[in-house]
Amino acid sequence: MKKPISYIQSSLSTRLSLLIVIFSAAILVASLGFMFNVSSQAIRQEAISRATQSLESTALRVQGILDHVKVATDNTDWLITRHLDGPDSMFVYSSRILENNPDLNGCSIAFEPDFFKEKGRWFSAYSLNDHGTIKTTQEGNPYYEYFYMDWYQLCKLLDRPVWTEPFTDYNPEGIYSPEMITSYCKPIKDRDGNFIGTISVDLSLNWLSQTISAVKPYPNSYSIMIGRGGTYFVHPDTNKLFYQTIFTETLEHEDTALVSLGHAMQNGEEGMKQLKIDGEKCYVFYKPLGETGWSTAIVCPESDIFGSFNRMKISIMLAVGAGLLLLLLASIRIITRELKPLKLLASQAETIASGNFEKALPDSNRSDEIGQLSHSFKDMQHSLITYIDELKMTTAQKASIENELKVASDIQMSMLPRIFPAFPNRKDIDLYACMTPAKEVGGDLYDFFVQDERLYFCIGDVSGKGIPASLFMAVTRNLFRIVAQQGHSPAEIAQQINTILSHENDQNMFVTMFIGCADLRTGHLDYCNCGHNAPLLDNLFMDVKNTNFPLGVLEGASFVGESIDDIRDRQLLLYTDGLNEAENPQKKLFGEKRVIDTLNGAQNMDSKAIILMLQDAVERHRDGAVPNDDLTLLCLKVNKV
Amino acid sequence: MKKYILSFLFAIAVFPAVGQERFVFTPQWTAQAQFAGYYVAQEKGFYKEAGIDVAIVHPSVTQSAMARIRKGESHATTLQLCQALEIVDGGIPLVNILQTSMNNGMVIVSRWGKNPLTQKGERVGVWSAGFGQLARCMSLKDNLNYEWIPFSTNVTLFVTGAIDATLGMSYNEYYQIVQAGFPLTDKEVYRFCDHGYNVQEDGVYMTWDYYNNHKEQAKRFAEASRRGWEWAAKHREETLEIVMKYVKKDHIATNRVLQKLMLEETLRLQVDRESGKREFRLRPDMVKKATDLMVEYGMIRGTVPYEKLIDAVK
Repeated sequence: MKKPISYIQSSLSTRLSLLIVIFSAAILVASLGFMFNVSSQAIRQEAISRATQSLESTALRVQGILDHVKVATDNTDWLITRHLDGPDSMFVYSSRILENNPDLNGCSIAFEPDFFKEKGRWFSAYSLNDHGTIKTTQEGNPYYEYFYMDWYQLCKLLDRPVWTEPFTDYNPEGIYSPEMITSYCKPIKDRDGNFIGTISVDLSLNWLSQTISAVKPYPNSYSIMIGRGGTYFVHPDTNKLFYQTIFTETLEHEDTALVSLGHAMQNGEEGMKQLKIDGEKCYVFYKPLGETGWSTAIVCPESDIFGSFNRMKISIMLAVGAGLLLLLLASIRIITRELKPLKLLASQAETIASGNFEKALPDSNRSDEIGQLSHSFKDMQHSLITYIDELKMTTAQKASIENELKVASDIQMSMLPRIFPAFPNRKDIDLYACMTPAKEVGGDLYDFFVQDERLYFCIGDVSGKGIPASLFMAVTRNLFRIVAQQGHSPAEIAQQINTILSHENDQNMFVTMFIGCADLRTGHLDYCNCGHNAPLLDNLFMDVKNTNFPLGVLEGASFVGESIDDIRDRQLLLYTDGLNEAENPQKKLFGEKRVIDTLNGAQNMDSKAIILMLQDAVERHRDGAVPNDDLTLLCLKVNKV
Repeated sequence: MKKYILSFLFAIAVFPAVGQERFVFTPQWTAQAQFAGYYVAQEKGFYKEAGIDVAIVHPSVTQSAMARIRKGESHATTLQLCQALEIVDGGIPLVNILQTSMNNGMVIVSRWGKNPLTQKGERVGVWSAGFGQLARCMSLKDNLNYEWIPFSTNVTLFVTGAIDATLGMSYNEYYQIVQAGFPLTDKEVYRFCDHGYNVQEDGVYMTWDYYNNHKEQAKRFAEASRRGWEWAAKHREETLEIVMKYVKKDHIATNRVLQKLMLEETLRLQVDRESGKREFRLRPDMVKKATDLMVEYGMIRGTVPYEKLIDAVK
């Protein structure tokens, strides 16, 4: 199962073809379903119409004959009532009915027990049409007590004329005749309206059986007729005639549909029901037969009604199925052919992707989307080759620059004193400094040296970053060294450096600096702050009164120095803003408060330990963020010796 | 010579029926599963094995079973106990040689979904051929005063609504009504056996005259018939086949489904409620109950004692 699915997923043509076929199939199924439904309704309606017509004409014909019997009876019964004083005249009337109506089988004019005293308990004038010969007799006797017979009692008990349930005639020889007979029975009443007997006219129903059986609107359809008790009186299965009712089989095997049909027919309803008979789906159309209480039905197998329609339906479905299969195959073939250049393009693009940029793409004369794609690919290939060439060049240049930058960095770092302890032979100087550039080269600087028992030191931060700042830093550092070595005070050093830096300073670069000069013998400190962060002395920001301009900003600016009497045994920390403005990934600054908090309790630590501690604190604050500025720290403690 | 004597003795032993007069048995109704045991005894050769030559002749429209007995054309018939009591009371002494039913199967079925006990004064069908004695007693005893409408052989009066209720047998008319599309519930069916009228029904009877002259024959017939019923109870499908053979031969308007239901119900009624067994005996208490009821409500003139129906010395 996985293989076909992965094949479909990997093959655009198959996927597209399947989508087309599925979509087409959905449209076809919906259209055909609608068409089949409409056709099926029409056929069903046609079947109903045909069956109804057949039933109507049967019912009409039956009604006509039954009406004839009723008229024949009605024409006689008034004579009976008028001649109750002459019982023998009843033989005449019963035979006359048959003489006047040769299609009738028999006639009984029967009276209540002992009605005619002179005739005894039984008196029933019975005439029989025996193949054209009319025989008349008195039929009541101890063995045939007619007044218990259904034909006699029904109209008496119901007090109206009735048709008896059909029955097979019986003759005294004990031979059952297959002839089916019914009787039209009418109560005879005296002048006071009292029941005195029954006139019963027998009618052979063989014609009815034949008429109903002949109703055959479809080749395998058949007709049935049941009586009030559900007994089959017409049925193609002769074993069921008279012996079974429509409900018999339901006593053994529950069949609510059949029971429902039986009840509807018994209730004299007219209609149609769908049910399974002997395992076959059938439509049963039923209609009552006049006033008889009987009901006739036409059973039409669904396969008969919908036979040719179903065959046509199957043929259409097969044709549609085959069409869809052909559509699928054709779609796959056409789409595959149309997508062939795309496949070639994909394979060559793969070759290009593997690094073979010079691989020639196929020429395409097509102007459709695939042609445009091919042209775009060619353009892309050319652009790619050009780009790769440029990239190679740029990479080479970058490598060269990086190399140069490395050298520049080394040179820059070599300009700063980096060997600690800086004065291994002097116990009175505890100094440690470091500069960490944010990029390859930085714009921060520091420097220090001892001359004539004076320690000159400075820390600075050039505006901007990178190479321009580093060059400016190198110039500044050299100027500091040259000027300071001439024995000037920090303010004078600042004055001179500013003069040189600000002269023709086209780039408008400047540097903030803190320049100090400590007398190692007395601990006296002179200093000049040129726009730089105030240093910390014993973990407190120094109260610098004259901040001065940064160096290089204003040519001819004057610089004012300050001093502290004795800084011996005191801790002085100089730093650039790379310390207090160090940012973490959330752009939060390290802050001056944290600087003081970090240094808290560090009074007895040496300069190196303090610097390393601060570096570590900054590193942790950054939490992996790229350094946003150069970080330079210088810690000094002049010890009393 | 010895050879001939042995052959003669053998012939007597194996074919005792040879030379015997034919025993004609007439059930009280047309062929149906109600008489399955006798058909089985005939078809399986139980009568022959008992050494009697039995002919089963059903009554006809013009000749009832009792009419045949009276004329001597038949030697035994089946009768319900109440019927037998009525006949004995009417002056024809009868002896019960085999009792098959141990329970009463009579029912009243209502036409209109009513409880028959509420149908006071309404029209109730009853067999014109008899069998309604117990129901008549019940109608009087329970002050229902039904208007009895005799019917001949089927349930047409009931089906057409000409009567309000009908008497029937739980194995026959009851199923005919169900088969006519009436879905009966317990409410519409009054079963006599459940209301203090559990009086036995079918038994085989013959006149004392005939019995006294043919005791051995009667005894063999009763034993073989009982064997037939016992076999039928154990082989119901095969019994049904035999019943259908008789039914078809006489063109009876019935079917296999009805006959199957009738056979089951008939066999059920043969099991005594108290002992749970097929006892094949007439119960003195039931005879007394029947005679007391019938005397009380004027069905018979005087008590018919149990001993009058049974050969105590057999």
